[in-house]
Amino acid sequence: MTQRINTAVKLLAVAAALGAASGASAQSKGEWLGKIGVNRISPDVTSGDVSAPSKPGIKAEVGSDTKPIFSVGYMITDNVSTELMLGVPYKHTLYGAGSIEGTGKLGTAEALPPTIFLQYRMFEPTATVRPYVGVGYTYAYFRKETGSAQLTAVLNTGGQPATYSLDAKHAGSLVLGATAKLGERYYADLNVVKTRLKTTAHFSTGQTLNIKLDPLAVSLSVGYRF
Amino acid sequence: MRHFKLAMTIMAAAVIAGCGGNDQRPGDQTPKLKYSSQVSFGDSLSDVGTYKVGTVAAIGGGTFTINGNNTASNPALTGKNWTELMAAQVGLPAPCPAMTGLDGDAAKGFSVAVQAKAGCFGYAQGGARVTNPVGPGNKLTGSPLGALTVPMVTQVKNHLAAVGGKFKGDEIVYVMGGNNDVLISLEQLSAGATAAGTAAGNTAFATSLATQLAAGATNPATAVQSISLAIATEAARPGSTSTTIVTAAVTAAVAAGNTAAASPTVYGPMVVKAQTDAAAAGAKAGADYATAQAPVLVQNIAKAGSELVALVKTQIVANGANFVVVNNMPDIANTPSGLAQSASTRALIDSMVKAFNDTLAAGLSGDAKILLVDTFSVSHDQATNPAPYGLTNVTDTACDLTPAKNPLGNSLGCNASNLKAGDVSHYSYADTVHPTPFLHLLLARYVSEKMVAKGWL
Repeated sequence: MTQRINTAVKLLAVAAALGAASGASAQSKGEWLGKIGVNRISPDVTSGDVSAPSKPGIKAEVGSDTKPIFSVGYMITDNVSTELMLGVPYKHTLYGAGSIEGTGKLGTAEALPPTIFLQYRMFEPTATVRPYVGVGYTYAYFRKETGSAQLTAVLNTGGQPATYSLDAKHAGSLVLGATAKLGERYYADLNVVKTRLKTTAHFSTGQTLNIKLDPLAVSLSVGYRF
Repeated sequence: MRHFKLAMTIMAAAVIAGCGGNDQRPGDQTPKLKYSSQVSFGDSLSDVGTYKVGTVAAIGGGTFTINGNNTASNPALTGKNWTELMAAQVGLPAPCPAMTGLDGDAAKGFSVAVQAKAGCFGYAQGGARVTNPVGPGNKLTGSPLGALTVPMVTQVKNHLAAVGGKFKGDEIVYVMGGNNDVLISLEQLSAGATAAGTAAGNTAFATSLATQLAAGATNPATAVQSISLAIATEAARPGSTSTTIVTAAVTAAVAAGNTAAASPTVYGPMVVKAQTDAAAAGAKAGADYATAQAPVLVQNIAKAGSELVALVKTQIVANGANFVVVNNMPDIANTPSGLAQSASTRALIDSMVKAFNDTLAAGLSGDAKILLVDTFSVSHDQATNPAPYGLTNVTDTACDLTPAKNPLGNSLGCNASNLKAGDVSHYSYADTVHPTPFLHLLLARYVSEKMVAKGWL
């Protein structure tokens, strides 16, 4: 993870150097911004225990995923912008943890966390590098929650195949990022988004699991201003 | 601006693609490994219907749990034991008993010719011990049922004979036993302690009564002897009762000069004291017997553990089995049967279970082909911390075991028609030692979890 961020920072530095050479203006009031890039979502899981009837202490771990990301933004003023981030669904793997540590992959689910941000971009619109901070609202929803032979074995041995669903949730996000000019209209964008997201898994066998996902997303994109 | 429109279109497409709704799916239900068959060795906990014949079948029994598929009335009442659930989980046909029959009382419908069932690998049978052929329910114990109790060592031998001496290597093999070695030694201990207590009690009664009656005789020293002799003679006479023994003692006392003893107001209190002395002496003798025998029983069960280790290693794994799941012994002291025992007997049960399980752990660990499942720890946790497991009662039996309701007096004859009133579906125990289908599911889940973790499921 750290290595990825380092690489991203280096890329940004290069982009900044390139941008400095062009010396064009950028990101001023009334402009539209479009962005495409890659985003890695790494949940920082704090799992509750699977509710009764269940062996005590069964928890879950959730894996990371990297997918393309798109965004569209609008400069409300020279410094304040709004940005809607969208992506293709992230496929996360659910692993057994806690008292069933070692059971490995038990299921997968796709997550869609569209987020709208209000951002403050520092420095003049003409600045080569513009760090920004912002707050966001995320509507996280899940689909294609998929079980496995292993999930059935652990929850309902020899019975109906076990399935599960994850509740869609509203969540708050914080973003920290920076853009760097790459040319007259292109720019590079690196940001880190921390979301506070809690959801509940409902298993077909009747148990529930409260799970705090609190994902950290790191994205590197190329943007274009219109 | 054209770029912008394109970008918006792409994003809109992405958003629409995301709106798939909530479509849960079971996913791939194929286990990691494909097994050709399931082979099970053990006792009643894994028995899939060895005794489901004759009267047992006629009364709707046959396995050692709440019999029958009653999921229509309650989803937990599957009637299945853990080996049946495991077979279903890996996509194998329902296991069938390798042998059926009973050699008990024909008048009660417990005499049914023993049959070997070709292609059926459910060898586990109720009452089976590790190597000793006489387990609980066997006719040699005096039981009218006449359970076959073919020991595990013979079960394995029978399987090897049926399949040409070798496992193919892609069978899943389940081994769970030793419980009956504990149960039968407890029965023997109880019988031995009772015998010792009764003998000591009788002696103490005679001594106490003779001494008291002789105190009022002309010559107490000789009177003790004559009264004792009268008691012993009457006690040895067939048909004697405690009343006739007391009468004989009193008659001897009167003859020895204690004429006052003839009055019930005189000898009555003496008899009461003698009975008190007898009870104390009997209890002490019984306890002493149990204390003296306890280390022997623990040694014996450890020996049974070693025999099971040897069986698994030299007869099962050495003959080509690659996937052998061995469940250790569950928490017997916390079954209704164990809970009914005295504190000292429960401590003895714990020592026996520990000796057996320690032997398995020492002997079976470190072999990649053997998965030793610590059934004890989870069953102990279930007994002491039942709520998270969804267990509603861990001390009473779900089955009504009164003779009027259940002629067999245990779960072999238990089904939906003779359960206790109320919702007993999430009780731990069907009878005093055997799990309900729900507890079997919990066991199957636990075994599954360990198999998944090992990459076997």
